[in-house]
Amino acid sequence: MDAVFFYAFAAAMVLTTLLTISARNPVYSAIFMVLSFASTAALFVLLNAYLIAVIEVLVYAGAIMVLFLFVIMLINLRAEEQEGLRLNPLMILAAGTFLVLLTRAVRDLGPAVQPTPNALEGSPGVLADTLFTRYVVPFEVVSILLLAATIGTVVLARRREGEA
Amino acid sequence: MITLQHWLVLSGMVFTLGLCGVMMRRNVILVMMSIEIMLNAANLAVVAFNKHMVPGPGGVVPPDGQVLVFFTIAVAAAEVAVALVIAMLLFRRLDTVNVDDVANLRW
Repeated sequence: MDAVFFYAFAAAMVLTTLLTISARNPVYSAIFMVLSFASTAALFVLLNAYLIAVIEVLVYAGAIMVLFLFVIMLINLRAEEQEGLRLNPLMILAAGTFLVLLTRAVRDLGPAVQPTPNALEGSPGVLADTLFTRYVVPFEVVSILLLAATIGTVVLARRREGEA
Repeated sequence: MITLQHWLVLSGMVFTLGLCGVMMRRNVILVMMSIEIMLNAANLAVVAFNKHMVPGPGGVVPPDGQVLVFFTIAVAAAEVAVALVIAMLLFRRLDTVNVDDVANLRW
């Protein structure tokens, strides 16, 4: 049963990612990116990472998606800027080599690694226990980083005096 | 049976697609989307590794990988907000979002 869901969502993820990078209209790309992230969230559920799956949908498919769509609409691309892909044999070579090397590295991992029996359930409680004890300092640092990003964004986006 | 190798190959495929996106697209927003896709593929690999981890004392697998992904998502959100504002400023000043037109460090 797990295998059926894995292959279904893996296929959906690869397909929607392919459509994201190949769509001519950036708005379509954003929509396909959301579908790709939704498939990833489903795969996270298969990996028992329930809280991460919810966060994935909230942050990526919610917040980041809205940001992208807002900027696409603010920039309002004209037709001539929606050009096609830049294709260079060297890029195909680089990407192909990367994929081959990665697959070989995975194969050299040895016999198929099975999931750990009674692996953890990524419920909010389990995650919070670790997050707020061992990782409490990184957690606070991330909150400061988010504050800095918010202030930086506002300062950057503000129109200065005399600017059009 | 779905093994760790399955997850890693899937993650590698999606990461490679993101890499192709960064190299092939000219629109800076699409380049950023491709970077998000690569981050997402890496997240998938980390969570998969977490599920296949050797249990610690007491036979419990610690959720360290999922905590790491939690931080990655937070940092990605901060990064994408700043990057999109920079793209907007670029468009305001140069009237373009084509990365080929932005070859100078200052103007």
